[in-house]
Amino acid sequence: MAIDVQSLTQQMVQAAVPILKQGAQDAESFAQTEFTKIAQTIASVGEQVAMGQINQDQAKLLLNMQTSASRNVLLTLQGLALLMVESAINAALGVVKGTVNTALGFALL
Amino acid sequence: MNPTVSARIASRAPHNAVAGPIVYRLFATFVALALVAGCTIRLIGDYDDTIDQGVTDIQQRTELYFAKLRSDPLTPYDSSFYDDISARLAVLKTRAAALTQYKIIGQQLGNMKDQFDNLRVLDKSSARPVPPGLVDAADNAITVSVESILKLELALKRGDKPASN
Repeated sequence: MAIDVQSLTQQMVQAAVPILKQGAQDAESFAQTEFTKIAQTIASVGEQVAMGQINQDQAKLLLNMQTSASRNVLLTLQGLALLMVESAINAALGVVKGTVNTALGFALL
Repeated sequence: MNPTVSARIASRAPHNAVAGPIVYRLFATFVALALVAGCTIRLIGDYDDTIDQGVTDIQQRTELYFAKLRSDPLTPYDSSFYDDISARLAVLKTRAAALTQYKIIGQQLGNMKDQFDNLRVLDKSSARPVPPGLVDAADNAITVSVESILKLELALKRGDKPASN
């Protein structure tokens, strides 16, 4: 039995795309939450300097800490993206496995 | 192009036009089967409970220190707190370096170390009483880092499905 390439392609896409969409929504929600906190803190640091509650050296150190926090948020997004792609690829490969075995009539894979 | 060369190419064109797609399909099928023979792929490491618990522990100790500064802004700088956190982070970084595909979390732990280095300088150089806004800003930065690391770490559980090779 020949493998229908077009049908197989469609099945792989249908397996992979929902995973990518869900992962993107999750990552966006996380990024929104964390960057909002960072932005609010940066604004607060500025206000504290303006009111003379902290000096510029203290503000600089606090902003360095916020920068490191931002880097960690971005690294998490990078990691989540890898997980998302991994899951999508494995889902698509899972479809290939099932289709090939069905087409050949025995469990080759 | 040399007319002789182009003539030779043209004479082979009908044969290549038929054989090309067939060869390509066979190659693509072979590659696909070779890939699938390896079952699942892994692009990033697996969940590690030691790092999960270690980062949570660091947050707990830090929150306790911040609570002291908030309840008593005259609390003096405590170098032992920073030495303790530094040692714990060093251990976690070593572990991350030893784990497979753990580069991202290793970098995150490095960024956390930078945060505590900055906090140490800030704490040591700040006159007492410590402004509450300073503590809040520092707390927020650490918390965002902890949340980021734990978010990724917990995602690595992947629904607790082990990789098969």
